[in-house]
Amino acid sequence: MYRCQYLKGHRLNTILAAADCIVPAHNYLENAGTLKTIGVMDHAIAQMPASLRLQFLTFISIVHVLGIFFGGRWFFNNLQSDQIRQLQWMERSSIRAFRMGFLGLKSYICMGYFTRETTWKKIHYWGPLKYDQPPPDPIIRQLCQDKLKVFA
Amino acid sequence: MSGQTEGFRMKKQYDIVIVGSGAGGGTVARALIPLAKKGLKIAILEQGPHYPHSYFTQREIEMMRLFRYNGAWPVQSGEITIAAGQGVGGSTLMYTGVSFRLPRIVLDQWQIPGLTFDDLTTRFEQIEQEIHVILPSDKMVNDNNHLFQKGCQNLGWPVKRIPLNIKQCEQVGFCNLGCDSGSKQGTLEVQIPEAVSAGIDLIPNCDVCRISEKKINATLKKAPQGTIEGPWKPGEIIIDASIIVLAAGSPCTPGLLLKSGFQETLPWIGRDITLHPAMTLYGVYPKPIINYRGFPKTFYTDKFTDSHHYYIETAFYYPFVATRHLGIWGKGLSETMSVYNQLMTVLVLNHDTIMPQNRITLNRKGEIQVNYQLSKEIISSLCHAQIQSARIFFAAGCERVIMPCASPQVIYRNKGDLKTLEKRIHPKNFIPITTPVSSAHPQGGCAMGEQTHRSVTNAWGQVHGYPWLYVADASLFPKSAHVNPYLTIMALADRVGEHIVNTVINL
Repeated sequence: MYRCQYLKGHRLNTILAAADCIVPAHNYLENAGTLKTIGVMDHAIAQMPASLRLQFLTFISIVHVLGIFFGGRWFFNNLQSDQIRQLQWMERSSIRAFRMGFLGLKSYICMGYFTRETTWKKIHYWGPLKYDQPPPDPIIRQLCQDKLKVFA
Repeated sequence: MSGQTEGFRMKKQYDIVIVGSGAGGGTVARALIPLAKKGLKIAILEQGPHYPHSYFTQREIEMMRLFRYNGAWPVQSGEITIAAGQGVGGSTLMYTGVSFRLPRIVLDQWQIPGLTFDDLTTRFEQIEQEIHVILPSDKMVNDNNHLFQKGCQNLGWPVKRIPLNIKQCEQVGFCNLGCDSGSKQGTLEVQIPEAVSAGIDLIPNCDVCRISEKKINATLKKAPQGTIEGPWKPGEIIIDASIIVLAAGSPCTPGLLLKSGFQETLPWIGRDITLHPAMTLYGVYPKPIINYRGFPKTFYTDKFTDSHHYYIETAFYYPFVATRHLGIWGKGLSETMSVYNQLMTVLVLNHDTIMPQNRITLNRKGEIQVNYQLSKEIISSLCHAQIQSARIFFAAGCERVIMPCASPQVIYRNKGDLKTLEKRIHPKNFIPITTPVSSAHPQGGCAMGEQTHRSVTNAWGQVHGYPWLYVADASLFPKSAHVNPYLTIMALADRVGEHIVNTVINL
């Protein structure tokens, strides 16, 4: 079992919704907004330097609140079309911090999704040839192999 | 070596200490073997861990720790992220083994008195033998590389083989995550083991905080689990050394000099930096190809190096990193990644020029900060490179391409004519930070030269005014090397080693 330390409450819901916008379902590929993605992300966030982690978590809260201006509700309660519009605005914003924040958010979602073995199969990537090489970090290995149930 | 404990600080004494174990540090260490054999005490201090082959698990999320900042060290503007290795072997730990010689035309532009083409050529020949530089055979060319060759040939462009330093390569394709077979002949495999066998001490996990007159202040960290432990216990340490060689790489070597206060006498520290801004570009082939297995890099074209200042090389990366390069999200990302085994990839490498505003400084916390802004010329060059890369992809048979500076970013084959490409791929679509640009070749910051106020070291890497202090890494480059820099770093480091040997012998 893996219990999330950082991605809970509104942050969890914001990331789940953002992940579905960043990597939507396509053919065999499932959408990224699942607890499995969250587990890998949360573990990676735990490894961040404290100051960077604070910035990242604050940015997620900003995404959550700014939803009001794009669909009248918190980000995760908005229509997906409004969520996408908000993310596009952040990505192209003249304010550097929004562009940096969006890049970080997108990168961590892609990390949480495309480093997992179930995703590898869907994209026809067969991963390491030395499959059972001992991991430097057993938790991240188990999260990527979906061997740990994730709780927020 | 003699050692003692003073309070909580350990003290050590050496004749020569090398800071860094990458292409520069490893090569200097090897060049100093004659002195070690004469009984001089020499140590290599490496900030990162000493990884055994068994550590390399071929999984990108687990191997991100081989890189500083997980492979994405952002410059201050956020416009570029730098990938640099952190561990014994430095960036040769996770490079692809590309071993170009410095082009003569570039050396002429450098204008370093005493640094001649003949001198470098002799060293290149010797080092190429030592690190086993070869031209890849046809057997090493996978589909992704074949398609690049085909695309260039169909366009009538020159396509050349990339010199690589590998030996009995298993061609598994994980070069950038650490070579678990030891085939890649970086300093972890060649120079460092030779130096250690000759009696040179290797100290991993040693973070050098400051240097002063023949003295080094450092902190030893605990070895991460699964890595090879060093000989000393964790804690603070002061090392006395008659000669100090800085080979921590650019930007860390100039950063260390700034942290140590040398800028008061050497105002050029941190200046004249270049980064080789790079973009990794993708095309989608109509059917599955062998792309992520096999050797990732075997061909390049220099068609546009003189006219537009870039090379195009073959490359291939793992799924998560690929999403960072693609620069797209939403439906386009899912569509592209769902055919990961159909992706064809190239790497565009711009050779940038030095600009006064681009320099290494320290931030308010005293941390190293790389100040770099992409100029209009570089953005224009990178857009030109995207247009030409799209042509290669289509000429190779790709059905669509993804170009970060195109609007929209996905371009289909039927709209792939040159006029359409030029219209759609345009500098106005470049958004700083959002458009993915990376660097794996930071250079400069301790430029060689004659004048103290316009350079940091002489042509032998000896710091002006400090005869006991040397620099032996890419920081020495006064301008971009144009090509992948590792062989040039090794040749310059070999010169530094030779100068130290001659100086010590003549004392």
